[in-house]
Parts: sequence; structure tokens; C-alpha cells
Amino acid sequence: MLQVLRAISLVNSAILALGRHIAWMALGLMVLVILLQVVFRYVFNNALAWPDEAARFLMLWMTGLIAPSAFRWGGFVAIDMLPLALPRMAGLVLTIILLLLSLSVLAMGLQHGYNHTMGFGGNFDSSSLRLPLDLIGLESLKVKLRYMYGSLLISIILLLLVNVELVLRTAANLISPDASLPPTDAPSDLQRAD
Amino acid sequence: MLVFFLPVFLVFLMVGLPVFFALLFAPGILLWLNGQERDIALLYRNVYNGMDSFPLMALPFFMLAGELMNRGGITTRLVEFSQALMGHLRGGLAHVNILSSMLFAGLSGSAVADTSALGSTLIPAMEKNGYSRRFAAAVTAASSVIGPIIPPSGIMIIYAYVMGESVAALFLAGIVPGVLVGLGLMMVVRLLADRYDLPKAERIVTTNQTISPLEDRISFLLLRINFAGVLLIVYTLAKSIVSAATGAEIAISNWVPFIVLLPLAHVVLLRMRKTVSADFRVICKKAVAPLQTPIIILGGILIGVFTPTEASAIAVAYALLISFFVLKTLKLSDLPAILTKSALASSTVLLLVGAAVAFKTVVSLSHAPEQLAALILGLSDEPLILLFLINILLFVVGMFLDAGPAIIILGPILGPIFMDLGVHPVHFAIIMSVNLTVGLATPPMGLVLFVASSVSGERVETIARAILPFLAVEIFVIFLITYVPAISLAIPKLTGFVH
Repeated sequence: MLQVLRAISLVNSAILALGRHIAWMALGLMVLVILLQVVFRYVFNNALAWPDEAARFLMLWMTGLIAPSAFRWGGFVAIDMLPLALPRMAGLVLTIILLLLSLSVLAMGLQHGYNHTMGFGGNFDSSSLRLPLDLIGLESLKVKLRYMYGSLLISIILLLLVNVELVLRTAANLISPDASLPPTDAPSDLQRAD
Repeated sequence: MLVFFLPVFLVFLMVGLPVFFALLFAPGILLWLNGQERDIALLYRNVYNGMDSFPLMALPFFMLAGELMNRGGITTRLVEFSQALMGHLRGGLAHVNILSSMLFAGLSGSAVADTSALGSTLIPAMEKNGYSRRFAAAVTAASSVIGPIIPPSGIMIIYAYVMGESVAALFLAGIVPGVLVGLGLMMVVRLLADRYDLPKAERIVTTNQTISPLEDRISFLLLRINFAGVLLIVYTLAKSIVSAATGAEIAISNWVPFIVLLPLAHVVLLRMRKTVSADFRVICKKAVAPLQTPIIILGGILIGVFTPTEASAIAVAYALLISFFVLKTLKLSDLPAILTKSALASSTVLLLVGAAVAFKTVVSLSHAPEQLAALILGLSDEPLILLFLINILLFVVGMFLDAGPAIIILGPILGPIFMDLGVHPVHFAIIMSVNLTVGLATPPMGLVLFVASSVSGERVETIARAILPFLAVEIFVIFLITYVPAISLAIPKLTGFVH
């Protein structure tokens, strides 16, 4: 089991690190896009249509790609008094049960997310987002809503991966308390005191 | 069947399921048991739609702006400025701690950021000055709850979005309550100062303060413009009172009196300048650029130049400008870490908001609010008594849950009931926000207490005992806010954001 955990942990570390990099850039771009909107409205007297949607697009992807890291590092808010108050074994068993419940939510989400993204609605064009291919001589392409919807689907897939890893981690802890578990690369200021 | 989803939700929440999953699990499982598969698809869609929002974007932006200010060394300047103003009083550094929190609240919307930023500088300083460490930690924790009450405020953005209120109105409504909490805490310090003989402090710790020529000029200009602005507001108010206008709305679009008032401001400032020492002047000047942030945010929203989301983006740009070019405390290579931290913190909140929007649709599908309303109204139909009960409920909830998630869960359930009873939506928003933020500083699960504990190295239990007198006054302010709606509604009404 430890080997499976190590493998998943390695994969998660790599994917989530990439996700975090995209997320911080998305946040930076969001600020730029909104500032551009303000500047265009007041300085050039020209209210642009696309910044609103572009910024939302970026925010959705930012959230989707970085939230799994937060989940992995214990950043999802919970009232964790009971699991901490219970004796070690019972606490770990409860934690596993809770993780399995979240897993069921995510599995359900995966199914509906797929239908939402790949289904009928995702096929519509976004109202203002275009790939400006006309700049390089091609026809400009409307962005399908699917590419926005996909952010939540991808997020759920990543959350699922993290969830499986967390289940394995807790199980490994349960079986042998001093098994050496692979690192989660949580930054030091995010590691919980408890 | 669906009626049971609230109890189911509470049970899963209490045993420790993360709020995000609990919000989706409880309605999901009941819909599934009911065979309403199609409504589960709706649940999913609403999580997405809940996050896909322009007003919500203010949340990551304000977090980012606060983070930038904090890393840019602005905290030290605010503390020095507060000390120059209040350090000489008895219990000086405790007052400084509270005043710094109030100023910091205008830059950041989070109590936790406040505790960790101010705690790490002020707790050691207070200890050196002769305070006990637990007292220092308690003051820091108690005053940091002002952070989300004075605008900008993360929880108010969330509340406004989930409940369909105006962010601007909530921001404006939070100003007086936040100041009241601060003044209340200062009164406690004053009383304790007599009892425990709390020391005074120097007003100016580091002498021979320096300021860069560029910043000197910027501060010079900003001070005059702001002061003239204040004079203009006073002038407009006076004029509207004199002319006994029925609706006293401030129109700040009047340039002629502003240009007349500008030299007046200059003259007054020159006179004031002579009465203070050189170091005091420099400390004040160094606080001007950071403290311009709340003025830009609120001013911009008030005049209607930009929306709260745009204001938050401008706050980020301003923080960048200040820390790169004026203070020169940030490097380009610091940015990825700061952006990542803000993105990380806001992503969990955004997911929660999405889940809450989904939860809210099921709440209304289930007719639970009607039943809950009937239950609550069965207790009493006197709004004042019900508000009292709600105060207690919120306070208890605040002990166990962060303010953001608590607002997300309780707002849609409690809000409509009190609106029907004739409580103003903005007033109710402030009651909820203040109540739940104070809960951040209460044991056993007060987040701020944990942060204060890790910053100070003092045990949570010890801080929890030392914080009691401060909590008492905060609870008193909560009741004041609850029973005197004018405290919350005066400013938004005066500025025309609430009718």
C-alpha cells in the first residue's frame, strides 16, 4: 500500500505544483484585465466587453487548479474537534470515514461535471471571449463555454486524486504509526500546529 | 424527506466533515434517496454558477492587496504612527495595538492577517515594556476582530453576494460599528490601566526618522488633497443642513469649493506642523501612503467611479506601486509566492461560496426556512427578543465555525425570516458579521486565538482567560449594534446607498 501511496503522492506533487503555477499567473492576469477595463473606460472612453468574462474565466481556473493543493494541506475548513478529541485509533477511523464521504461527493461531482462540461450546454459559444486568431490572418474563434465549465471538472478530478492520497495516508498511519510517509510539500507557514 | 437535510447537514458538520463537502453531501444524499437525480445535476450546476461571479472577484483581490501591504513593511509604519498618536497614554502600547488594528482593518479584510501581522511586532514590544505576554496576546486577538468589520471586509463581500445585497452599502455600514468596537476596547484598557498600573510608552521610539524625497512629496500632496476633501464634506454637510434639504445626499462632484478649500487645507496644515516635533511629522508622513488605500477604495465606490471589484483591483495596483516604487520593500521575485498564497486562501472560500449557492437552492426547495421561521416565530413574535436569541445563536456558532462559512450557511436561512419581521437587510448583515467575527476570538475554536497563541507562544487557554474583559465589551457593542439600527445604517443612508 505504501508503494501505491508513494506513486500517487509523487503524481499529485507534480500536477498540483503545475496547477499552483498556473493559478498565481491567473490571479496576476485577473488584476491586469480588470485594471485594463478601468483604464479603457475612463481614459479611452471605451467600455470593453470582454474583460468581465475573461477575468471570471481566469478566476474559475485559478480556483479549480489551486484548491486541490489547499485540500491536500488541510486548508478545507472543518470543525475538527471530534476527530482530534477521540483516541488516536478512533480518530483515524473517523477521519477515514469522513474522507470516504467526501470521496462519494466528488465521485458524484465527477459524473455530473462530465455531463455539464461535455453535454449540450458546454457547446454554446461564450458571449464575449474570442481567440483573436484574426491577428495572425485566421478567422477569430469564439471560445466555447465548455472551456470555462471544464475548470470545475478538472478541479474535481484533482480533488479526487488528493482524496485518494489522503485516504491512503490515513490508512498507512492507522496500520503503522511511524511509517515514513511521502512529503506533501506544504509550505511551512501552512502546516497546522495540531 | 428533504426537510431532514438541515439536521443531516449539522450532524456531518459536527463530526468533522469539511464544510464544503457537508454543504453538498447533505442535500445530495437526500435528493438521491428521493430519486431526484435531475436536481443533483442542478446542485452541481449551481456550484459552478455560484463561483462564476464578477462581484466575488473582490475577495481574492482584497486578500492579495492585504498580503502585498503586509509583506511591503506597511505594518511597522502603522504601528509607529499609532504609537506617535497614543503611546503616551497609560496602557500606551495596548492602545497602540488597538489603534493599529483599526488602521490595518482599512487595508485588509481578515482578522487572521491582522493578528499575525500586528502580533509579531507588538507582542514582543509590549512584553519588553512590562506587560504580561498573555495580556499582550489577548489585546492583539481581541482587537483583530475589527479587521473584517471596518471595510474592506472579506465576509461582507461573501454576505453581499450570497444574499444579494450591495457590497458598498455593507462596507459603509461597517465603519461605525468597527470604530465602536475599537473605542470599547480602548475603554477596557483605560480601566485595566488603573487596576494593573499599566505603563506608558514613548511616543517616538526611533528618533531621526527619514523619508525619501519622492515619498515626502507624495505625502505632502496627498495630505492636502485628503484634508481638503474632508473640509469639502463638512462644507457640503453644513450647506445641506442650512438649506434644510430633505434628502441630505453628499454630492462630492463640486470642484469649485474644492479648489478654494485646497489652499485653506495647506494653511491649516502648515500651522499644525509647527506644533509637533520633526520625528512626529515624518512618522505621520510615512503613514500617509499606506492609509490612502481605504480612502481610494471607499472614495471610489462612494463617488461611483468604480465597482467594489474594480476598487479591489485598484487597491492591488496601488499596493504594488507603493511597495515597489515608494517603499521599495518588494522585489519582483517575491510576487509568485504572494500571489500563490492569496490564490490558495481565496480558492477554498470561492469553492465554499459555490457550494453555499447550491445549498441555498436546496434550502428553498425544501421549505425548511418556512418551517424554521414558524418555529422561531413560535418562540416570540417580538423582533427585539428574537434578535437577542439570534445574537446568542450566532455567538455560539461563531465559537465553532469561522465567520465566512458560518455566514454562508446561516445567511440564507436566517436572513429572510428577519427581513419579514421588518429588520433592515443591511442592519441584519452587520449584526451577523460583527457577531460572527467576535466569535473568532472566543474559545474553544476561535481561529484568532490560535493564531495569537502561535505568534506569542502563550497557551490558548491562558489567552482565552485574559481576553474575557475585552470580550465582555465586544458583546456589549454587539447588543448596541443590534438594538440601535442607526449605528449601522446612518452612513449608508447619508450617502444614499440605503434608502
